[in-house]
Order: sequence, then C-alpha cells, then structure tokens
Amino acid sequence: MSPAINPIILFFASIFTSNILLANFLGMCSFISISKDQKSSFGLGFAVTIVMTITMVASWVVLKLIIEPLNLDYLSFIIFIIVIAAIVQILEMVIDRVSPALYMALGIFLPLITVNCAILGAILFMQIRNYDFFQTLAFGIGSGAGWWLAIMLLASIRKRIDVAPVSAGLKGPGITIITIGFMAMAFIGFSGMLNVQ
Amino acid sequence: MSAAKKKGKGTEVLLQNLWYNNPIFIQVLGICSTLAVTNNLTNTAIMTLGVSFATAFSSLTLSGMNKLIPNKVRMIVQVLVISFYVIIIDIVLRAYLPDISRSLGPYVGLIITNCIIMGRAEGFARSNPPLLSFWDGLTSGLGYMGVLMLIAVVRELLGFGSLFGIPILTALLGDAFTPWTIMIMAPSAFFLVAMVIWASKTIQEKAKASKQAPAGGTK
Amino acid sequence: MKRDSMAYTVLFTFLVCVFFVFFLSLANESTKDRVASNRRLAERSAVLSAMGIPYTKDTIDTTYEKSVSTVKASTGELYRASVGGKNVYAQRFAGPGLWGTITIILAVDAPVEHLMGLQVVSQNETPGLGGRIDEPWFKTQFKDEKIGPQGIRVVQGSGKGDKDPNNSQVDAVTGASRTSQSMEALVNRGIDDFRKAKNEGVLQ
Repeated sequence: MSPAINPIILFFASIFTSNILLANFLGMCSFISISKDQKSSFGLGFAVTIVMTITMVASWVVLKLIIEPLNLDYLSFIIFIIVIAAIVQILEMVIDRVSPALYMALGIFLPLITVNCAILGAILFMQIRNYDFFQTLAFGIGSGAGWWLAIMLLASIRKRIDVAPVSAGLKGPGITIITIGFMAMAFIGFSGMLNVQ
Repeated sequence: MSAAKKKGKGTEVLLQNLWYNNPIFIQVLGICSTLAVTNNLTNTAIMTLGVSFATAFSSLTLSGMNKLIPNKVRMIVQVLVISFYVIIIDIVLRAYLPDISRSLGPYVGLIITNCIIMGRAEGFARSNPPLLSFWDGLTSGLGYMGVLMLIAVVRELLGFGSLFGIPILTALLGDAFTPWTIMIMAPSAFFLVAMVIWASKTIQEKAKASKQAPAGGTK
Repeated sequence: MKRDSMAYTVLFTFLVCVFFVFFLSLANESTKDRVASNRRLAERSAVLSAMGIPYTKDTIDTTYEKSVSTVKASTGELYRASVGGKNVYAQRFAGPGLWGTITIILAVDAPVEHLMGLQVVSQNETPGLGGRIDEPWFKTQFKDEKIGPQGIRVVQGSGKGDKDPNNSQVDAVTGASRTSQSMEALVNRGIDDFRKAKNEGVLQ
C-alpha cells in the first residue's frame, strides 16, 4: 500500500526537509566537481531535474508493468540502470536534433548523469516506499529541484571561498565538504516548516 | 613480467590505494551513499566489504573482457558487470544476513553507482592485466574501508555510545552520557570526511616538504 | 565479425545480458527458500516477543509450533497462546508511516485491558529518527501497558521511555513527531480491532 503523503507536501519535503543531496548523500561526486563554476552548475542542475523526472516516471511504469507482475524483483537494479541509460541516450539524440544550442550547453553533462547516484537512488527509494503515480511524479521533480538548488547554492558559496584565506590542507575538496556540512545543518532547520520529520 | 617486477607493482598499487592516492581523501571519490550508513559500524563494515568485493571482481572481469568489448557500449557493459556483482551481494545479504539487509535498505543497490568502482574500471582495469586489476580493485576498496570505519567509530561512539552495537560509553558513564545527536545526522559525516582530508593532506604535504628540504639544503 | 560493427555490438551486449541474467536467476532460485524461511522466522519471533514467550534463536520454530495457534475473527487472523495460565492474543497490523508502511505485531490480554507487547516487523522511516521505533527502549514501553478508554497515547516525553505501565501513555521518539503519530494511530486501530473481536466472543 502507498503511504498517505500528499504529493504537494512530498514535493516540498524532497527539496527542503529530505534533500536528496544534503540529507541522503546522493549525487555527491558531480556535485563537488561541477560546483566550481556557477554556469555549469546551473546547466547540470537543470539536466538532472529533467532526467530525474523522466526516468522516475518511466521506472515507475516499468516497475508496475514488468518487475512486479513477473516477480523480477531481484533484477530491479539492472532493469532500472538500463532504463536510465536508455532515456539519457534518447534525450541526448532528441536534444541534439531539436536544439543544437541546448545540446552545446547541456549535452556534455548527460553521460555524467547516467552514473549519478541520485537518479538510481531516488528510483530505489520510490520502489521501497511504494509510491503511487502522483507521489512518484512529485518526488521526481522535487528531488531534481532539490539537487539543483543545492548545487546552485554551493557554487555561489564557493565563489566567495575561492578568495578567502584557507589553509593548504583544506583548500579544494576539504573546505567544500565542510561547507556542504553547514548547508546540511541549515536545511535541517527546515524540518519544522512542513510538519514532517 | 618477472616475478620480482610483479611483486613490486603489487606493492606499489597497495601503497597508492591505501595512502598516496586514497579514493576518499585524495581522489575524493565515493563520498556518496556509503557516507549515509557511517553512523553505525556494523553497517559500514558490511557496506565497505561489499564495495571492495564488487570493485575487485568487476575490475577482474572487465579486464579479462577487455579485448571483447566494443567501444560504443563500453560504459554500459561496465555498469552491467558492476550491477551483476552488486546483485549477488544483495542476494547473499538477503539470504544470510536478513537483519543487516533490512537496515541497509536501498544503499546496497547504490553500490552500483559508487564512483570508485567505475573509476577503477575506467582508470585501471581498461589497461591492466586481470590479476593486477583485481588487486587494484581490492586495495582501493580497503583504502575506502579504512577511512569510513574511522569515521564510523567517531559517529557511532559519540552518537549512540556504542561500537558495533556494544554499548561502551553508555555502560561506562550511564546517564551522564548525553548522545551527541548531530553525530547521528548527515552533517557530521561531511565534517568528519573534511577532517580526514585535512589531516592526510597536511601529513602528505609535510612529508613531501621534508623530503625536498635536505636536497635543497644550503641556500 | 569486426569488434566495432553494429552486428557484433548488438550480439555482444545481448549475450552479456543473457549470461548475467542466467546466473542471477540461478542465485535467486537457490536462495529463495532461505529468504522465505528468514521471513517466516522473523514473523514468528516477532509474535513470540510481542506475546512475551521466551525463545532462543534455534528454538523459534519449535516454540512457536508448540505454543501458538491461530483463530479467525471478522477483523482478521489472530494468534493465540497461553502465557502464565491466561490466554494472550496477537495480530499483525499495517499502516502508513511517514515514508512508507509500518507493520507491527501487537499483543493484548483476553479482556483487552492490557497490552502484552509490541514488535515492529517492518518500517521505512528515517534512520536514526523515526527508525528508532524499532529500538528496545521504545518497544518495551508497550509491555503490560494499561489500555485507557481512548486507547494508548504517544506523547512528547523525555524520549527515554515512559516507565509507568498504568498511565496508558508512552514517550514519542524525540524529533520524530510524524512517525510517532503514525504509531499512535496504528496501535489504537489495533486495539479497536481487538475490542471488536472480543465483542464477537473470539477472545476467551
């Protein structure tokens, strides 16, 4: 049975109180490397949101039509990965046809997203929590938007840190990770907002 | 390769993966999902063993298949091989360690997207022989394990007062022990990883500096 | 066949998939029975704990088969056992938690005046917060707890466990208000079902 969560609340919860990155640690690698540059962060965040939403919905369909009826639970991981890879591939081709300009901005990120833990992770959460269609949609858009918000915030902060005096051992990944830790703490402060834990 | 040369390469790989090029504090890979389970030593141990197993065998298999994989589907085949071993881990856990399987939840599946495994597959197994790739995968996993176990010790001890589920601080201090709740929650993992990065980088820089100093000596 | 030709690529990928899926199916089939028995053991040990019947890891099946029988009521299937000379009843209840479904085994005495115990069979709440409903300090609060006219209340307390079995209330998990509320609703729904079964004369 699906949990009794209103999709709108779930959407906001995925962005603030249970941010896929700051609370669930998913999607860290590209998060750390791309947040050096604000423009790329915007592009990657946008790409992640689009891919997350589409793959979530597609995976839900595959889950309900194929995996569950045929009892292929143990193959879920492989099936979901194939779905993600296929959709990213198709997206790449579609964007390239429709708008070469968009492809120039976005295209390079797409292969990076295939192995982004956030996408597979969110899909697995959806499977375990047994969301219905609208909850899945809300969770997909929300998780993507939450990731996008986090990377934009981090990129802006990093711009400031770059000109700040940081000790040699902490420069680069060290201070970035500490910053992420503070961001995570700040986001925990949202937990009263939605009356969810 | 002669036996002596092989041994030399093996030790070099070991040292690189455990210290000089450690996946976490030097390469900054795999900071993902596994951090989520580090508030509990038992889960961390199982997860990192799983990562080591998956990395070692994926590297072994991919290196063995090197000549057969067509270029277009290289990444997909890598992911397929990695998924295969992770699913095996999942099946084994569900059958023989059901309680742990339940508390790890979706994070076992997320081993597939752990950047370390892909990183070693692309960076090492592509251009190295199978046995050495296996060793590289295994030692990367161990380097990873060391750091995460260290973080887990701090988090579990200060957050729950126990180690591996055995109450230690709670037993020693009783009610005087107030669990440090932030250690159970996400931010502490980030701070601790940053501390580890800071410490190891500083140590490595100092070691490099003292090695250069006698050579640069009299100025 | 050239390595980079389309035909080889498709054939190779297909073969690799078939090969792996075959082995995974083998692994899955060979562990199926074990996984099923793990599930059975987990459910049985939860029933035994909730009812307060002692057992060891190796005697779960024997103790269960010796002590527990099942009866049917309009509200579902109940487990029955004799503990300390009196009949104790337990039932499986599932309800929505914050993130997923919480499934518990709740046990009561025959007159539905005291809870005998509670065990969590499955939950998907936030680890370290809502997930703490599975911790011993939370669960033992329900042991021998007197059932009030409104059932049991889960209140914000010290977060360390309410030791009074007569006040019909238990401490919530600090920082996990939604999950705690879900537990309250679930336990009280269970109590209502037990009361219905009692009115049908099923609980002797």
